[in-house]
Amino acid sequence: MNAPPALNLGLVALCQQQIDSLIEAHSEIRGVLVSSIDGFEVAARMRGSASPAKLAAMTSSLLALGEAVSDEGEVGHCRDVVIDASAGRVLLMDIPHATRKLLLTVLSDNASTLGQVLWAVRTCRQEIGRRLAE
Amino acid sequence: MSPREYKLIFAGSMGAGKTTAIAAISEIAPVRTDVENTDRAAHQKAMTTAAMDYGEVTLAGGDKLRLYGTPGQSRFDFMWKILGNGALGVIILVDNSRPDPLADLREYLQAFRELAQDSRAVIGIGRGESHPNPQLDAFHALIRDIGVSAPILSVDVRRREDVLLLLDILFNQIEASELVDLAPSGSRVQ
Repeated sequence: MNAPPALNLGLVALCQQQIDSLIEAHSEIRGVLVSSIDGFEVAARMRGSASPAKLAAMTSSLLALGEAVSDEGEVGHCRDVVIDASAGRVLLMDIPHATRKLLLTVLSDNASTLGQVLWAVRTCRQEIGRRLAE
Repeated sequence: MSPREYKLIFAGSMGAGKTTAIAAISEIAPVRTDVENTDRAAHQKAMTTAAMDYGEVTLAGGDKLRLYGTPGQSRFDFMWKILGNGALGVIILVDNSRPDPLADLREYLQAFRELAQDSRAVIGIGRGESHPNPQLDAFHALIRDIGVSAPILSVDVRRREDVLLLLDILFNQIEASELVDLAPSGSRVQ
C-alpha cells in the first residue's frame, strides 16, 4: 500500500466509517475509496479485488485531466468524472474544501441509476467535507 | 507532402524537470495536470504532475513534435504505458541529487525498454553541478550492463538550448539507427 498522506487519524477513521456505512446501506455500491489529491489511499473498502492503491493513483490522474479539460474548455472547475462501463459505473469526484482536498471514488453496478448513486454518495461526501473544514 | 507529427515522451523521477523541460521549449502554453504534493518526504516541491504534461514544437520542415511528460512516481506507472503508446522516442531525465540516481535510471529504462532497445532514447542528467556523483561514466556503465545504447548528457532543463539539444541528439540517434525515415533531412529543431 502507498504511504498515507499526513492526515490525522481521526479523519482517516471518519472516512472509513463513512465508507463502511455507504457500502452496507447500498448493495449496488461495489467499492468506495477516499484518497489524497496526489494519489495516495486514505481509506477504502472494496467488495471485489480492485486495488485501492491503484485506484487512488488513477483517480488522481483522471480528475487532474478533468480539470485540464475543463480549463481548456473554459467551463470552470471539474467536480466529477463519470465512467459508464459495460458492467457498472465509476464515479470520481472531489470532496469540496478550500485548501485540503480529498478525492472520492465509488464503484457501482448497473442495478441503479446514476442519480440514485449520486444521491447515496452525497452524505458521505458532505460529512467528510464538513470534518475537513473543522 | 503534408507535415508529419511525432510523439515524444519526457520521463524520469519526481522533480527531475519534465514539466520544466516541456515548458522551456513548447510553442503553446503547456497543458499541465499539477496537483498538491502531499508526499513531502519524497520531494519538497509544492506541486506534482498527476497525469501528464503536454506541449508542442514545430520543426524546420513543418513537422510537429508532440511532447508528453509523464508523472514521475511509480504509483502512476499506468500513465507511463498509456503515454508511451505510439511514441517515437523517450527523453529520460535523471535528478542526480536524489538518493540513488542509477536506480532511477534503471527503473525508467525498464519502463520504456522497447524504445531504449530500439535506440530511441536519450538521457539527461540534471543537478550534476551541485551533485557530481554518480558521474557520467557510472551511467554509461549501467546502460552498457542493461544492453542499451543511448547518449547521456549533463543538462539543465531550465535552459531552452539544453532541452533542444536533447531533442536534436535523440533525432540523430533515431536517424543513425535507421529505424525511422525522418526525411526530408534537415528537420532540426529550431
